[in-house]
Amino acid sequence: MSSQNTPPSKRERREAARAERIEREQSAAASDARRRRLLQLGGLLAGAVVVVVIAIVVSTGGGKSGGGSSNITGAADTKALIGGIPQKGITLGKPDAPVTIVEFADPQCPFCKEYTLNELPTVIQKYVRTGKAKMDLRWLTFIGPDSVTGAGVLEAAGQQNKMWNAADLLYRNQGEENSGYMTDAFLTNVLKGVGADAPKAIAGAGSSYVSQQIGAAKTLSSRYAVTGTPTILVGPTGGTLKKDPESAPTAAGIGKMIDAAQGASGT
Amino acid sequence: MSDRALRTTAFVLTILGIGIAGYLVYIHYAGIEPVCNIAHGCHKVQTSKYADLAGVPVALLGLIGYVTILGALLVRGEAARMVAALTALIGFGFSAYLTYRELFTIDAICQWCVGSAILMTGLAIVCTWRLLAHVPAAPSAAAPAALTTDGA
Repeated sequence: MSSQNTPPSKRERREAARAERIEREQSAAASDARRRRLLQLGGLLAGAVVVVVIAIVVSTGGGKSGGGSSNITGAADTKALIGGIPQKGITLGKPDAPVTIVEFADPQCPFCKEYTLNELPTVIQKYVRTGKAKMDLRWLTFIGPDSVTGAGVLEAAGQQNKMWNAADLLYRNQGEENSGYMTDAFLTNVLKGVGADAPKAIAGAGSSYVSQQIGAAKTLSSRYAVTGTPTILVGPTGGTLKKDPESAPTAAGIGKMIDAAQGASGT
Repeated sequence: MSDRALRTTAFVLTILGIGIAGYLVYIHYAGIEPVCNIAHGCHKVQTSKYADLAGVPVALLGLIGYVTILGALLVRGEAARMVAALTALIGFGFSAYLTYRELFTIDAICQWCVGSAILMTGLAIVCTWRLLAHVPAAPSAAAPAALTTDGA
């Protein structure tokens, strides 16, 4: 009993003080380490936010200018590509061409724009301008309201035999999907750029002719199980068309299909 | 949860992500349409302007991200943990943005993209958790081992 009341020796007090100091240091070190870790996490989050914001800016702005109502560009290129080729309604090329190419497109589809700018010129120069093939352009409107507006006016431009010109120039000035850029002002500038009667085409977008053309395109797309744009069909004129299996059609692939169709038509 | 369990979870999520991103990269370069039997919007999403970033397919960027995370998971150390967390957080942020675009701009849902977004969300949680669970000792600590909760 007497030992319980014995005051701790000097050595015991020193050891207790040391243990207390070590515990304090450990606690301080742990707290410091956690604080540093949280700072590191904050840094990582900030870095991630910066990278994501840059990616979003690039994604929304990356080379997708256009859609403005006053800055239409490329009219000369459109004229150089299509000028001088017979055109009637939805068809570009000689009516008696032995091969028919049908393109399904949406005015807002960015891949249709890529196809129009990068592959279509070769097809037109090699096969349409030379009279080997003619092309029909069928409008689908699956992307959104701007697609409906654009397709209606483009179909109406077909009544002036300017649809292919208007489509080409529209793609050269394509805006951001569903941003509401297919305004009367924008479409007027596109139509004027190809020498079409803009007020007449815009007024004609609601006509029964346009409704019939859009309906016919939809029916044809169902028959050929078209699920996206651009989709290309090729075949002998008046015969059975075959669907291009490539989801991103190329001039080379279409050329092979034209050659095969020419063989089938006996020309 | 131990570091080993967190790492294994992250590893499984990453392998699944590589599978999805790899498939989307393959169909992109093969020029074929993706299998899309749940929500028929894959083609619309894959052909939208948001399907690439400065000319690089986002599926390829996703694949690079998953491979980076996989590499970081296979390497031990602080830097590897941070690389994994940072990559997963970036992937999560950009996936969230793309999902927003699918819902409100493109108006179509791609099941593969949603699957990848879910995996990236899981990876962001697991990799951040793993980073926070492992608190390294301060250089001047009296007993460094006592501060380490790393179960690996």
